[in-house]
Amino acid sequence: MLAYFLLLVPLPPLGGFLLLALDPYRLERRAVMAVALAAGIAPLVLFLPVALGYFAGSIGDTIAPAFTLNFGQFEVALAMQLDALSAIAALTVTVVASCVMIYAADYMASARVADLRRFFALMNLFLAGMLSVVMAADSIVFFLGWELMGLCSFFLISYNMNSPRAFAAGRKAFVMTRIADAALLAGLLLLFLEATSVRIADLIPAGLAAPEQRAVVIAVLLLVGALGKSAQLPFQTWLPTAMAGPTPVSALLHSATMVAAGAILLIRFAPLIEAHPGVAAATAIAGVATAVFGALCAVAQTDIKRLLAYSSISQIGFMLLAVGMGAPGVAMAHFVVHALFKSLLFMSAGVLSHASGGTTEIRRLRGSAYAAPISFATYVVGAAALAGFPILSAGWWSKEAVLGAAVMAGPFGQFLWLVALGSAALTGVYAYRPVWSALRSPVEPLPAIKENWLAVGPLIFLATASVLGSFLVGPIVRTMGGTVPHAGLGVEVMGALAAIAGLIGSVVVSFSPVWSARIKRARRLRAGMQMDAIYYAFLVRPYRRVVHKLSGRNARKDTSHEAETDRTDGGMGDPVGTATVNLGLWLARVVTAPFVPDRFDLVTMRSTREVRRAGVWARRLQTGRLRTYVMAIAFGLGVLVILGWGMTWG
Amino acid sequence: MTPLNILLVLSAGLFFAGLFGVAARRTILMQLISLEIMLSGPALGFVAVGAYHGSVEGTGMFLMVLGLAAAEVALGLAIYLHMRRATGGDSDLAHRLRG
Repeated sequence: MLAYFLLLVPLPPLGGFLLLALDPYRLERRAVMAVALAAGIAPLVLFLPVALGYFAGSIGDTIAPAFTLNFGQFEVALAMQLDALSAIAALTVTVVASCVMIYAADYMASARVADLRRFFALMNLFLAGMLSVVMAADSIVFFLGWELMGLCSFFLISYNMNSPRAFAAGRKAFVMTRIADAALLAGLLLLFLEATSVRIADLIPAGLAAPEQRAVVIAVLLLVGALGKSAQLPFQTWLPTAMAGPTPVSALLHSATMVAAGAILLIRFAPLIEAHPGVAAATAIAGVATAVFGALCAVAQTDIKRLLAYSSISQIGFMLLAVGMGAPGVAMAHFVVHALFKSLLFMSAGVLSHASGGTTEIRRLRGSAYAAPISFATYVVGAAALAGFPILSAGWWSKEAVLGAAVMAGPFGQFLWLVALGSAALTGVYAYRPVWSALRSPVEPLPAIKENWLAVGPLIFLATASVLGSFLVGPIVRTMGGTVPHAGLGVEVMGALAAIAGLIGSVVVSFSPVWSARIKRARRLRAGMQMDAIYYAFLVRPYRRVVHKLSGRNARKDTSHEAETDRTDGGMGDPVGTATVNLGLWLARVVTAPFVPDRFDLVTMRSTREVRRAGVWARRLQTGRLRTYVMAIAFGLGVLVILGWGMTWG
Repeated sequence: MTPLNILLVLSAGLFFAGLFGVAARRTILMQLISLEIMLSGPALGFVAVGAYHGSVEGTGMFLMVLGLAAAEVALGLAIYLHMRRATGGDSDLAHRLRG
């Protein structure tokens, strides 16, 4: 019974997608909203009782089989599962998604109906994908949901179809995640060959039992997949530009859930990562490096959405650190808390930027605190959680647990702890910057906007959740089968001091003229260390040269960075892409062209003509005269009698 | 020729005479009369064979044929009356299946 209930959870958003995307009839604005909201909130309604039952202990780990196929020694079994990870993650996803959907109903209110349908259809499809990732009991459903999210991400970043920049951003995100997805697919397939089954419960022991070299390769491939999806170093470049999408997209996809899917992947396969100290160390180093990198870049941002984007990759870096330190439960707790406060931050930043005239520049947010006081208050709560304000905010508890896990992991961990502590302090520096900016008195008084309850309701709920989330950290870690690390009072005090230092630092960079000028000049850091340009120079341009050479085009033409990133036609001669087209044309020429006055066609056409003629002839039998029919019946009867008589002869 | 055979030949003759009537006549009323003759042929056959075997089923069958013929004539005459107004009682003119 319950098993089938699990399968139902991702279905409403999928149905919402099908209805909104494929319904051929015009839908009213209200109908679109109603379908989108119903489909977006239904998973929460369906899953909440299951999750509560699981946490209360009345429901155990369950696997809901959907479809099973056996061939040879291999077994392909599609299924959904309920365990500690999927219960916590799916509940977080459904809660955050419901809040974002309600908020989006207000945020997108001025969009055209066709755009609205597209937007909500993709958001619902994304939700279905994310739910299948977190609830999957097998690698196929997992990968399917993973790819679905990547696809929706591409479409939603490029939502604004008039902007070439949005298209370039979507394309970059798609290509970057695709590179990592290829690694993930390879890793999952290698695991499948080891286990001869796609069940995740079978994959992990098989991966552990695999020979050393193969196991390392698998673990590294999975790690690369997670790094790409979570925009960790060296794949981080796609996330800041992905902010070209609408704010609800950033709130749901590019902060709270989708980019955190990499962390979910690593938590799911944590035993494989932990089994090899080298891979675990690589995970932790990638996490810490991204945490510091993201925090540094975020400090230098002048755009609030880009600031929050860099903070996302920085926070996910903390999750990776926890996984690398052998504490996936702690990573899970940070995932939950981060999802709550980051979606809150994005959504309240969206309201604040509406209030200050639609700009997302931090400088121009001046005075928006007075125009939209409720959203400002919720933003402050979110920023406190992001910066890890001691004791009061949920972010402090989860970050403290991550730092504690690092300290307790030996000298290497303590080194990483120091770096992470610096990153935590930097988090404070950037997190409060928009707050101070919004508090300043405006240059000209902003008109107070009406804060719609559709927008503010989710904000208040999420703000409450990011304070009360403090009480969730311990239970989540214990549910995941770990213990909350207590590394001693000194470490905790250091964490609190780092957060307070961050607060002071943010005041300094916001109000000291020297420092704010320095931030204004930090152009290199603002552009994410210009990694985009480096990748362009060392990877994209050589690749394009090779492609141009192979396709015989002039490589010199049109190689400037701007010209190519802003180009939308994509009319590049691609030898791999044109190969299929050429093959098709050749096949058409060789195979079908000789039959162009097609003989088969001629035969069928002639036969239809004959059938018509036969019909004309047969119509003559139908005289309508009774006498004719009587004669025919009598004749037929006579023939039958003679036949019957002849039969009896033998 | 046994009496039974004479009767059977007679019944077959009645049947074919009726059939000829239905096929040859154009007047709907005459065709209806010929149909009755066609029905009476087998009915005679039933009675003759029943009497030959000394069983009552033949007579029962005859009664059923009688009832069937009565019903058929009742319907047929009603249709005939209607068609006579439309076509003047000529079955060849009534070939369009329209009232």
